[in-house]
Amino acid sequence: MAQSLAKEFTKGLWAEIPPFRLVLGLCPVLAVTKSVENGIGMGVATTFVLVFSNLLISLLRNVIPSKVRIACYIVIIATFVTIVELVMQAYTYELFLKLGIFIPLIVVNCIVLGRAEAFASKNGPVLSVADGLGIGLGFTLSLAALGAVREFLGNGTLTIWEGLPVFEMGAGFLPFKFMIEAPGAFVGLGLMLCLMNLIGKK
Amino acid sequence: MREMISMIVVLTVLTAVSGGLLAAVKSGTEVQIENQILKFQKAPAIQDIFPEATNDPLAERFTIKTEDTELQIFPTLLSDGSKAIAFETKGGAFGGPIGLMVGINLSTDEIVDVRVTTHAETPGIGTRAKDDLSFVSQFSGLKIDTNFALKGDGGVIDAMSGATVTSKGVSVAAAQAKDIYQKLKPEIVKQMK
Amino acid sequence: MGDLFVLAISCIFINNILLAQFLGNCPFLGTSKKMETAVGMAMAVVFVLVLAGLITWVLDIYLLKAFNLEYLRTVSFILVIASLVQFVEMFLKKSIPGLYAGLGIFLPLITTNCAVMGVCLINIKEEYTFVEAAVSSFAYAVGFGLALILFAGVRERINLARVPKPLQDTSIGLVTAGIIALTFMSFKGMV
Repeated sequence: MAQSLAKEFTKGLWAEIPPFRLVLGLCPVLAVTKSVENGIGMGVATTFVLVFSNLLISLLRNVIPSKVRIACYIVIIATFVTIVELVMQAYTYELFLKLGIFIPLIVVNCIVLGRAEAFASKNGPVLSVADGLGIGLGFTLSLAALGAVREFLGNGTLTIWEGLPVFEMGAGFLPFKFMIEAPGAFVGLGLMLCLMNLIGKK
Repeated sequence: MREMISMIVVLTVLTAVSGGLLAAVKSGTEVQIENQILKFQKAPAIQDIFPEATNDPLAERFTIKTEDTELQIFPTLLSDGSKAIAFETKGGAFGGPIGLMVGINLSTDEIVDVRVTTHAETPGIGTRAKDDLSFVSQFSGLKIDTNFALKGDGGVIDAMSGATVTSKGVSVAAAQAKDIYQKLKPEIVKQMK
Repeated sequence: MGDLFVLAISCIFINNILLAQFLGNCPFLGTSKKMETAVGMAMAVVFVLVLAGLITWVLDIYLLKAFNLEYLRTVSFILVIASLVQFVEMFLKKSIPGLYAGLGIFLPLITTNCAVMGVCLINIKEEYTFVEAAVSSFAYAVGFGLALILFAGVRERINLARVPKPLQDTSIGLVTAGIIALTFMSFKGMV
């Protein structure tokens, strides 16, 4: 039991890390990774939704009739997304403004619905939570990594959380503005994917 | 038939629970959200418009109700002792609503200063108007009955080059502030102690 | 009239939904390997997006805003879009089988296409009027189709090229998309 629990949790961190191994949910990945902070914020919000929707769907998996299961999943996911939206608006307002419509759009993030359909609807609540946490954490790490690359090259800084500059390039550094604009997101993700392939297929 | 009933029951119960839960969360966070909007969007703009305010315009805010809307008024005292107010209007140019905080001197009917309040959600839109102070500073010192349209449309405001639409949005918001002010001034003066 | 034209241009090119707003990227990468599927997807999105944009606009103004229920927006929009897609699918299957044969397999994918939900939310956030919402929904959908078809054309060529192994497939696709996004950036400042 403990072993399979660990397995479900860790697979999200490497073997099935989204969005690299599972090419799903690209939109928020590309859109919000202008900085590490945005990436982490988006990742945490998505993880919250993933964990709770997985838990609830797994608990209700024998009650939900299979014909309307997708509709039920969508209602459950949308409810948690709205909770996240309201809570973020109330307590982390600046981040809420930066992420904009990508918070409500967690609803249509294929990762969340994908995990509900592929995992939570077939497994018990404990495993489903582990799965949600693992995938969510993997997603957060990917977002933070891409955010770090883009922020570092495009702005010359690395900020984990507001008011906590970890690193700043000297005045001689000319920021590579391309990286924080739209095209930089595509190219950055494409090259990171290439790197993952290089490491993965030794 | 039984399957049908169970489908409908499950979906109905689920949506009802979801609606109830959200209503609870909503009412729990409502006050906090309003505070956040005041703190992050309105407070910095008001501070920029009235840098020498001797009071706290946020704490002394009051609302005026018209037939269709409610308007929040932020009162203050200028350094020369005259009373001034600030309120927010919206310019409905496409490319997004642009919020504009307008500060007006009540005794001279002149605009003290204006600031763009809305945060850009779509990249590029509105940010120029927010950062480019030479654009918004055109408004300061103008009489409130000035024609705030852009120069191309017969008014007095120079558009930002390359951001005509945003400029237009700001000028629409200013024109709206004029209408509101002219209509509500007696009411505002009455409510200022 | 002039304003609506400017709005349309800005939705298609400057704020292109795929390349500048990053909405709908899963089908962008998923269905662009062949020109045929790209065209099918583009048509399906135009069809559903315009319908969804208008229906959610009416729903938001006359139901949610009227009763102060804005916090139910996310839930109700996604339900409307999901059932709309189902309905369109059934309708096409019965009455226009020819069109269904072309669009059929793309329709279920559209529910989770964030371009649809995204444009519905943008229409509300930007406080468009009904006509503006109609124009923006259509223009965003056209922009989606344009970028998708352009990209599919480039990708068909890439299939013939020799790409280094780790870069193959999605990876080179993303880099190419970045370069196309760069060309779309030159539209900035046009309005």
